[in-house]
Amino acid sequence: MKDKVFCVTSGKGGVGKSTITGNIATALAMQGYKVVAIDADIGLRNLDLVLGLENRIVYDIVHVIEGTCPPEKALVKDKKTKNLFLLPAAQTKDKSAVKPENMIAIVESLREKFDFMFIDSPAGIEDGFKTAVAAADGVLVVTNPEMASIRDADRVTGLCEAMGKPEPKLIVNRLDPVKVKRGDMLDVDDVMQILGLELIGIVPEDKSMVAYINRGQPAVLEKDSLAGKALRNIADRLLGKDVPFMKLDSENGFLSKFKKLFGGS
Amino acid sequence: MGFWPFSRKPSKDVAKQRLQVILKYDRAGLPPNSVEALKNAILNALKDFPFVDVSGVKINFPQNEREEKIELEIPVKADK
Repeated sequence: MKDKVFCVTSGKGGVGKSTITGNIATALAMQGYKVVAIDADIGLRNLDLVLGLENRIVYDIVHVIEGTCPPEKALVKDKKTKNLFLLPAAQTKDKSAVKPENMIAIVESLREKFDFMFIDSPAGIEDGFKTAVAAADGVLVVTNPEMASIRDADRVTGLCEAMGKPEPKLIVNRLDPVKVKRGDMLDVDDVMQILGLELIGIVPEDKSMVAYINRGQPAVLEKDSLAGKALRNIADRLLGKDVPFMKLDSENGFLSKFKKLFGGS
Repeated sequence: MGFWPFSRKPSKDVAKQRLQVILKYDRAGLPPNSVEALKNAILNALKDFPFVDVSGVKINFPQNEREEKIELEIPVKADK
């Protein structure tokens, strides 16, 4: 059986977990797969914002656990992408409201009805993280190419292994080719070597990302977005397709274009 | 072209080096500086063996694997 339930986690906060979760889920739904994205960040929900669904939430995951409604009823249907559903986190409860066994029960009750499920983990390595990972077949660890994020990614990797999960796949987010070229940012090979994980995606730094989130419009829906393409590639790799990694060199950057224009190297 | 001409090595190389050491400590749950202390203790013990080139003793962290392992490199003096 192919993995269909993935937990997206990182240890450190702010590295782009929710953005990546929302985008990969959208990319797979665009291809016709039935996908549910579960926000496991109880009390600090954000996946609804990435998908632009914050005004459509009626029930959340805690209502499901309390028995107020069945899981299907709490699912929010995406308005832009057919086949995509969100199971929102509760905003007014705390992480203890969802236990690992609750997450497992919800995922198992939905498993047969969906092709893919993505669980957006809270930051940290405490119970909320463990609950998010508990129900997953596979783990996607997101890191930025910087020290604190890499160190934390290594911690969650160790914890996932201790929980008996298969070795996580690595997503390097916010890679800036200009900084790499300057020698001030670790490149993907460095990060892979340090963490010893198999790579499943490289997402370049994209200044437009904040605008996509402002609009609740995932980058994968934008044809011209480089980050969007990188995220669609991750979705394809999850489908087992052999997609080569995008060549990210600083020559595409604004600065180098500018330099070229004025005859610099 | 770097901001610091000629002298400095790229900051990413420093980051990589530091991370490789930090993660070894983190993964094995070692207290800070414990590997340094181990190295010193070993160096002391090796002084009694004239065929060992003490100045060349190295402690290595094997990279690219998640195994918790420290490698000790003890060079032998060639002319003995």
